[in-house]
Amino acid sequence: MATNESAMSTQQEIAQLPPPETQLQEFWRILKKDRLAIFGMIVLGLLLMLAIVAKFTTEWVVIFDPSTVRLPDKFLPPMSESSTNLIPSEDRPVFGVYLCGTDELGRDVFARMLQGSFVSLSIGFIAVGISVAIGILLGGLSGYYGNVKLGFITVDTLIMRFTDVMLCFPTFFLILTVVALLPPSIYNIMIVIGVTSWMGTARFVRAEFLSLREQDFVVAAKALGLPEHRIIFRHMIPNAMAPVLVSATIGVASAILTESGLSFLGFGVQPPFATWGNILSDGKGFIFDAPWLFFIPGFAILIVVLAFNLFGEGLREALNPKLRRR
Amino acid sequence: MWIKRLLILVPLLLAALLLQSYFWVPTYETQTKGNPKRLLKYIEASSGDAKILNPILNADSASSTIVGMVFEGLVDLDENLALRGRLATNWAITEQAYLLVDPDSQLPDGKPATSARIEQRIQYALDTKAFPELNSILLGMRRIPSELQTTTIDVRTRDGKNKPKTTSVAISITIPERLAFTLNRVDQDFFDRLTPVIGNQYGTHFRHNKYLNNVDSVDDNIVAQVKAQLPSLLNVTEHNPEILFHLRQGVRFHDGQEFDATDVKFTYASIMNPRNISPRTSDFEPIKAIEILDSHTIKIIYKRLYSPAISAWTMGILPEHLLNDTAMQKEMDERNLSEVTRETFGMRDSTFNRNPIGVGPFRFVEWQGDQFIKLDRNEDYWEGAPEYEQYIVRIIPDSLIQEVEFRTGAIDFYSTLPHQVARYREDDRYQNFSNLGFGYVYIGYNNRKPLFANPQVRRAMSMAINVDEIIEYIMYNEAERVTGPFPKITEWYDESIQPVPYDPEGARTLLASLGWEKNTEGWLEKDGNIFEFNMVTNSGNSIRKNIMSIAQNAWKKIGIKCNTQYFEWAVFLKDFINTGDFDATVLGWSMGIDPDLYQIWHSSQAGPQQLNFVGYNNPQVDKLIVRIRQEYDRVQQRTLTHKLHKIIHEDQPYTFLYASKGTRILDKKIVIVEPQPDGTERYKKIYPLKHGAIQFYFNKWRKLEHTPAF
Amino acid sequence: MAKTGTYASILIMWTYIARNILQRIVTLIIVSIVAHSVIHLAPGEPSQVDPSNPRMKPSDIENIRAAFHLDDPLHVQYVYWMRDLFTGELKSFKDNQPVLPKIWQRFLNSLPLLICATLIIWSLSFPTGIHAAIRRGSTYDRTTTFTAYALISIPGFFLSYIMILWVVNTFNVPVIGMKTFGMEDADMVFRSMDRLWHLVIPSLMSAIGGIAVLSRYVRSQMLEVVGQDYVRTARAKGLSEDNVIYRHALQNALLPFVTMFGFLLPALIGGSVIFEQIFAWPGLGRLGYEAILARDFPVILTINFIAAVLTLVGTLVSDLLYAVVDPRIRLQ
Repeated sequence: MATNESAMSTQQEIAQLPPPETQLQEFWRILKKDRLAIFGMIVLGLLLMLAIVAKFTTEWVVIFDPSTVRLPDKFLPPMSESSTNLIPSEDRPVFGVYLCGTDELGRDVFARMLQGSFVSLSIGFIAVGISVAIGILLGGLSGYYGNVKLGFITVDTLIMRFTDVMLCFPTFFLILTVVALLPPSIYNIMIVIGVTSWMGTARFVRAEFLSLREQDFVVAAKALGLPEHRIIFRHMIPNAMAPVLVSATIGVASAILTESGLSFLGFGVQPPFATWGNILSDGKGFIFDAPWLFFIPGFAILIVVLAFNLFGEGLREALNPKLRRR
Repeated sequence: MWIKRLLILVPLLLAALLLQSYFWVPTYETQTKGNPKRLLKYIEASSGDAKILNPILNADSASSTIVGMVFEGLVDLDENLALRGRLATNWAITEQAYLLVDPDSQLPDGKPATSARIEQRIQYALDTKAFPELNSILLGMRRIPSELQTTTIDVRTRDGKNKPKTTSVAISITIPERLAFTLNRVDQDFFDRLTPVIGNQYGTHFRHNKYLNNVDSVDDNIVAQVKAQLPSLLNVTEHNPEILFHLRQGVRFHDGQEFDATDVKFTYASIMNPRNISPRTSDFEPIKAIEILDSHTIKIIYKRLYSPAISAWTMGILPEHLLNDTAMQKEMDERNLSEVTRETFGMRDSTFNRNPIGVGPFRFVEWQGDQFIKLDRNEDYWEGAPEYEQYIVRIIPDSLIQEVEFRTGAIDFYSTLPHQVARYREDDRYQNFSNLGFGYVYIGYNNRKPLFANPQVRRAMSMAINVDEIIEYIMYNEAERVTGPFPKITEWYDESIQPVPYDPEGARTLLASLGWEKNTEGWLEKDGNIFEFNMVTNSGNSIRKNIMSIAQNAWKKIGIKCNTQYFEWAVFLKDFINTGDFDATVLGWSMGIDPDLYQIWHSSQAGPQQLNFVGYNNPQVDKLIVRIRQEYDRVQQRTLTHKLHKIIHEDQPYTFLYASKGTRILDKKIVIVEPQPDGTERYKKIYPLKHGAIQFYFNKWRKLEHTPAF
Repeated sequence: MAKTGTYASILIMWTYIARNILQRIVTLIIVSIVAHSVIHLAPGEPSQVDPSNPRMKPSDIENIRAAFHLDDPLHVQYVYWMRDLFTGELKSFKDNQPVLPKIWQRFLNSLPLLICATLIIWSLSFPTGIHAAIRRGSTYDRTTTFTAYALISIPGFFLSYIMILWVVNTFNVPVIGMKTFGMEDADMVFRSMDRLWHLVIPSLMSAIGGIAVLSRYVRSQMLEVVGQDYVRTARAKGLSEDNVIYRHALQNALLPFVTMFGFLLPALIGGSVIFEQIFAWPGLGRLGYEAILARDFPVILTINFIAAVLTLVGTLVSDLLYAVVDPRIRLQ
């Protein structure tokens, strides 16, 4: 059945393209079968909720205070109670219990992890947002206006050469260099990760655009004299989104990993922002004294990145009919 | 199917091959497995790589560890922090003092000053013993006739593009007649003692311009600049301290050449050679001349009083025959350097810095960048060869990895973090040491900012911080509270000064009395401004980062809003410390043995890129600092430093936090070997000296097969 | 095909190669200019210009800046850098040592790690991937799939630390560095085994991501090939299942992997920073990291340059291999 489907000519496929809802339904039907992807999706859903709750409860309505220093309570293991005689009552954690223990300054690790969840996720999402935006822009330009000449070279050559240039840099080394040289700030890290990871997206989008450009519905739209922005935004980009979505999902995972690697090397996000990466790298020095400082963020990163990867792979399979037979 | 079998066999074989290697590797308990020579090697961990192995050029701690083993100075510090002769067997410090004869001055008897009259008056004073101190100091005096001197001095001009530049101008001056006095010790008050004899107005109206014969320029601006510089060329009074060193005979460099006075003079010349860009110039710049009296006697003459000068000779001595012009020329030829490179070629470019040759107890063998530096013992060492055959420094940046390597016996020694010591204290497999060193940690406030201009505000800031809690929980009691700018282990530190008490309530009251009141949001406010500032420090130092968080939290409690940031070291220095563009910072100083605080606290040192970056300015302190660096007498110095300590403590330009202990851990199998008169040997436990060093007896250290019982 | 045709195709082949090389040289120059500008425009000073040094005067700092051309305009600095790089006179800011021999030595240190990791990756990925493809949908397949994802998702340094601490605490053997220190005078066998042992954990750790990715790739390649007509034909001929899988299917599935060799060398630099830092392995990645910390511009730039050269050579090799393997490419 799968072979038949893929053997169908593209024109037929376009002509018989079902309304969008059914496409979505079909996608959902396939995704549903992939248990790992569903697991990933659930974890991600929970995580997103958690991150929003975290933003509320650690910053706006401070229920979990990630910054209060309580030196007498340093290095308490998870689930231990705050020492009531040494800590003033306004400094004690909610319910007087440290769910994930305390760090070397007696700060509540649970509150820090909560705060970190929002920061870590926003690094992932914003970095990928930047990378996707650049990727779509350059890939789209290259794919759609590729033949336009700028002096002696075409737009396509220009952009693709530039993509090659970017691919020549050893990515992690480049990120490290730039982050080390720039003033440390969470935005710089997001931007640097974003700016160094758009090349794959640009290539996908260009390839999609090149093939879409020749297809009947685009040719027809052009013949009807529809404005170009309408053709691009209404007809081409939505059709080219599938691979972008997949690579973006996996991109978030790798951005979170990159951030933790940068933190490990000492170039991570500055306080007062706690990220899982810097909780982990701060914790590693105390692994013999307070192992939870190392293991809690480590496993948190593992689970979240795993969820993104599994969900991304599920998406890829569900969005790409050709892969269905595998 | 052979491919299938191959696909299964290859990974299995690979795994087997890799894993079997485990059985050949030594563990902590079996360090000598297959390798009995392990006991003759001493391996220590360093978190940073050395940069340059040259005693006159190095400035980092990893390099100085190695340089200290390979090179040796004329003197060093003994167990009681007093000077001890190394390449110098003994020395004497005297002074030559000079007085210009100023014919425009009147002597107390109303007659114009001439050399003969002054000499006569002094002689009379000596004969009558009118000023007994003068008799005890002055060994002799002589007249020096007037002389003509041509010299060049530097002036600032502008080039064609109106950019400032430095040019040299030739000038000719007449140096008037002088009187030279030989003193038996250095005395900064010598000319004050002469006041009754020559009058208190003597030289105050000295007409410098009269002695300027010619300036090789017609530019008015340049002439004016030359005239402005004359007073420093023609000092009415001048102190020239002198050190006479007797050098040790028969000491040889590692290549066999004998060490003598030319090496000492060459080392000085190399430091002062601008091409070498030595960071030690400020210690040696006061030297006026070095005279070689014979091959093993050398006299150092200083142009002014500078008491830290003698301990500068703890610096290692370079071998002249390997680095002089001929040797450098030869090296350039051998390396086939281009003309461009030759022009700027200096000692910094020489391969000597990676293959140093000195007279120290260990010979340099090998340096693998970021990996290790290896030294072999100097069998020919003048004090007898060390016990260890090899001295190896390994570069391991991460303290956790250092710990891991130590536990497996792959290193013998490393500097632990305080929390690691807490764990080791209970472990009897290792010996650990914690002793105060020369450093201290502080929070510095930018005294130039209106917010921190008032000492009362700075005091309130200090009162809000519970330093004892920091010492207990962050430093695990591996630190001691300090109250002032001198190293706690030296006599310059005044133990009687009490630290600022921890009193957040008091701080709030103090600030309220200065007009800072809490606003509705809970922050302190005065004239519509919130008490808010930024605190910065360098990244990569978790303790400073923690102190910053603690201080931020403590100030928040009394209503002060502090934003914290940390930056990578180079950026931190360039953008904040050097420009003075910061409000507060957490930093540490590592001091020397000398009580000279000029660079850190003198108000003239508060410019960009200078060390008084907090902009501390107290005229009283400036005066004391200058007096201390001109004082050669220890007891006098101590009185002055205690005074200085007290003033700085009261001004609180810093919140002085603590002096941390150097915490180190050593394999317990290492002991000090002491040969007994009857030919046997006795083992002694390693112990730290007064200034915390444990390696004072390093040459007698030996690693035993089994842990000895003491 | 006629003889002239062969000549023509050889000519096409060579122009293809020449054009490719030319393009890559242009790319390389742009890469070096971009890298140079980024690094010089960013804040931070080379560490020798270290104002924290209490005894260094501002005039000394001026001298050093002049000696390293730090005050010249960017394009002049670029020309100095290129000139010194190609005459071999480029010197590190940090220690005044020539840069190229330094990099070459670190490269030699990184090489065993790379080789060992590659061996582990390739020897483990193929059996697991093929097995997973054959038993598609089985528990084994699902477990390996999950494990593969878990391995890509785990931060490398997290796993490495757990591994180091476990090995050290359980067996008390050294695992850091290229060899146990103080073993230089030991028996030959002990020494070589010691070096081998020090390779095991770092190479395993840096191989983990590779194993996960490659075994997934092998699995999908095998699945692709197994569905092809000639495999069915082979089955229909009555060949044994092993024969079908390991001879016919595997050989065809292997083709795309040939091109992957081209990307091995560039991996030396980018991915190794963290692992070399953890294991105190004196390789290229660590050299780069230390250079970044010290603002040692010549070293950073040269490593970057070499990485770009390796990447470009890698893509060239893989393009050419592709052209050899897949004749359709040649016609382009």
